[in-house]
Amino acid sequence: MPALQRPSEADKKDSPHALLPFLQTQSQTTLTRLYQRPSSCLSVFRLLAPLERQIVMNLLWLESAIATSTMVAWVQRDGRKLYEEALGNLSRLHILPNSAAKLALNFTFKTSLRQALTGGGTSGSFGVPAEKDEHSGPSIKTLDSFALERWETILHYMVSSGTGQQPAKPSQGVLFLLQRSSLMSSFHGGPLQITSSGFQFLLHSPHAQLWDLLLQYLHLAQERQMDLVEVLGFLFMLSTMELGREYLTENLSTTQGVLLEDLRDYGLIWQSKPKSRRFSPTRLGTTLTSSSPPLPTTISASSGPLDGFIVLETNYRIYAYTDNPLQTAVLNLFVSLKYRFPNLVVGMITRDSVRRALMNGITADQIISYLITHAHPQMRKNNPLLPVTVQDQIRLWELEKNRLKSSEGYLYTAFTSQADYDLVLNYAKQLDVVLWENAAKRCFFGSLEGHLRIKEFIERRTQNSNS
Amino acid sequence: MSHLSVVLDLPPAQWHRSARHDPPLALPDFLSHVLVFLNAHIANNAENSLAVFGAFPGTSPLLYSSADPVPARLPIDSNSYPSFVHLDHAVARRVTAVLDSLGTDRAPEPSALVGAITKALCYVNRLAISPSSAAPAEHVLPDPRLLILSVSPDLATSYIPIMNSVFSAQKLKVTIDVCQVFGPDTVFLQQAAHLTGGSYIHLERRDALLQYLIMAFLPPPPIRKVLAVPTQDKVDFRAACFCHKNIVDIGFVCSVCLSIFCQPVPVCSTCRTKFPIKTLQRLNQSRPLLPSTPRSTSPKSSPGTPAGARTAPTNGANLARSISTPNELPHSSNIGSRNSNGRSHSMGGSVTNPGPSEAPR
Repeated sequence: MPALQRPSEADKKDSPHALLPFLQTQSQTTLTRLYQRPSSCLSVFRLLAPLERQIVMNLLWLESAIATSTMVAWVQRDGRKLYEEALGNLSRLHILPNSAAKLALNFTFKTSLRQALTGGGTSGSFGVPAEKDEHSGPSIKTLDSFALERWETILHYMVSSGTGQQPAKPSQGVLFLLQRSSLMSSFHGGPLQITSSGFQFLLHSPHAQLWDLLLQYLHLAQERQMDLVEVLGFLFMLSTMELGREYLTENLSTTQGVLLEDLRDYGLIWQSKPKSRRFSPTRLGTTLTSSSPPLPTTISASSGPLDGFIVLETNYRIYAYTDNPLQTAVLNLFVSLKYRFPNLVVGMITRDSVRRALMNGITADQIISYLITHAHPQMRKNNPLLPVTVQDQIRLWELEKNRLKSSEGYLYTAFTSQADYDLVLNYAKQLDVVLWENAAKRCFFGSLEGHLRIKEFIERRTQNSNS
Repeated sequence: MSHLSVVLDLPPAQWHRSARHDPPLALPDFLSHVLVFLNAHIANNAENSLAVFGAFPGTSPLLYSSADPVPARLPIDSNSYPSFVHLDHAVARRVTAVLDSLGTDRAPEPSALVGAITKALCYVNRLAISPSSAAPAEHVLPDPRLLILSVSPDLATSYIPIMNSVFSAQKLKVTIDVCQVFGPDTVFLQQAAHLTGGSYIHLERRDALLQYLIMAFLPPPPIRKVLAVPTQDKVDFRAACFCHKNIVDIGFVCSVCLSIFCQPVPVCSTCRTKFPIKTLQRLNQSRPLLPSTPRSTSPKSSPGTPAGARTAPTNGANLARSISTPNELPHSSNIGSRNSNGRSHSMGGSVTNPGPSEAPR
């Protein structure tokens, strides 16, 4: 799992896309092979930061390399650092080879991106669309509900594991991936249980969740000796496809055929029957490289917009306008639910409910950012969005958990005389192993590593006094 | 995400001249450069929105909007990105349709640039207003931009409408970028770019249009803080008078409604304020002597006629010409270097050295 970032608004803009670090670890030959496909170039280009995109664009239509100093002349004085960082990122992706004197794009990347922009060529990298005929493909609505159902099955399975419920099981491949990514694990051969990183995963945005899983899939693909270029190329092709159009499976390689089935389990691809010659990408697939929401949020909701459904009051009471069992289950992670109505769930944020969440490995920041991203439109009028009291209290509860510090050690008691006690205590202090002392009770607590030497010291003392 | 509205100035007569000018830039070449630029805008981010307006003689239709539904019969193939195909087809088809429908017998009207600009601003305004009434006013479109690719010379009658659009653009926080592709510098568009913080470029290397477009007009405002775009070092701030629509060096401004006149008038034609006769005499004495424009021949605009409703009378042009122009029209700073190596490529030309001739500081 990649390092968990606080998914606040500002961070999301600044942090690079989750896939880029993975791409940067790939060899130059792999990347160059990937860049042969115009659709992959377009998708990688979209994943770049805005400044990097502009630098690529500036260099795209130049026939020959230009001097580094010429390009630097365009950079504003305060932007120099950002510019250098952008160049570094581009060279790690092998898009812009690192060079001190001249700047020129990777030739393969340049050719492919030009082809993507102008169209034409014979790469066929954008997928072969099927002719529209009488049994026309699924409607966008069908695709949306299919994607939503698949995705929520996965999440719902995760969130309700260990609660004794028996939700619908996702396919074997998905379960394996969940276990591999340590989002879930089975203890002593028992049923799968959600882990603390799994709890954190649940609070991420669907987009981040999707990429988390796909990254795991890519790692797995490498181990399964699947050709990474074909896997990535297929994902990128999906992201440039048009929602609601059918494509043919004809030109796909064997690897991509396997991939097709796996992605169907995740809800990225719809097929009428398993061996169909046609497939349609769902919204999960077509939004892979964009920032629009990958899941249609309004479908399962009979009540109002679902992207914002939480109202939080200063008295810690929370009203969630939802009838979605998944969202209710996620809320249940850190809210103690009181009442349920057909379209409304009411609960309280209590010390116990938050502590339970913290025990599961969820952090206070994650709870707060979840509440912020899902706040009801009515809440958006408030400034600050969430009541400060509640935010502070959640953070305090987290600090409270960190109030006790445990350390292993030994308690030394029952010294016969004050002199003995002082002698041993001084010795222990010289070793710097005393954690706590109480002179009135003639006892002190020493850490584990000092125990042997203190024991020897006491034994030596006893022998000396006996002899 | 960001929004870009583009106004393409497409008067056939002017483009005919451009195709025969040296170096030539014919309309099809121009369109292919522009389409690649528009594709690049969409490529930047899947959520980027785009609206393209055409300014034809007498009409200014919407050529493409990214909100358009994708036509079912779009001939997409496996080699191109569907959104690009949609955009390119829509623009090419509608430009051809409008050009065909323009009769050849009609007297050449000036290009409806102002109409297109106004429509583009209306489009931005509509986007800025959130569709749901639940969260009004909070939803602000992130840095909308308006790019005008103009080939027409200044039209003195359009001073007031252009200035009005500039003010609404400022209110909407729209940046207006201008590229004068052919013909002389336009004073009004230069001012529009300056007043909204945009950039104005007079195209020098016409074969490298695409490179100009990408380097100067593709980056949204946040990127322009890091990678500089050329801005004007000199702006021609002259205004057009309300009475004859002449561009004036010295204007006389009504102290009540700020209307501009090229000569002292006893009654303001806009707000009907009467000025004292003494002031008039003093102002007349202080004017530079202009022997070729005796006062008797310059027509007074009759009070009661709304400013802007009248077209410029023919002898008003004499007046403008006789006023000595103090300086040449300033040039905007240029991005193309003069180092021409003559090679040209089918797309975008071959600018080997796009460095700024003066380093932006």
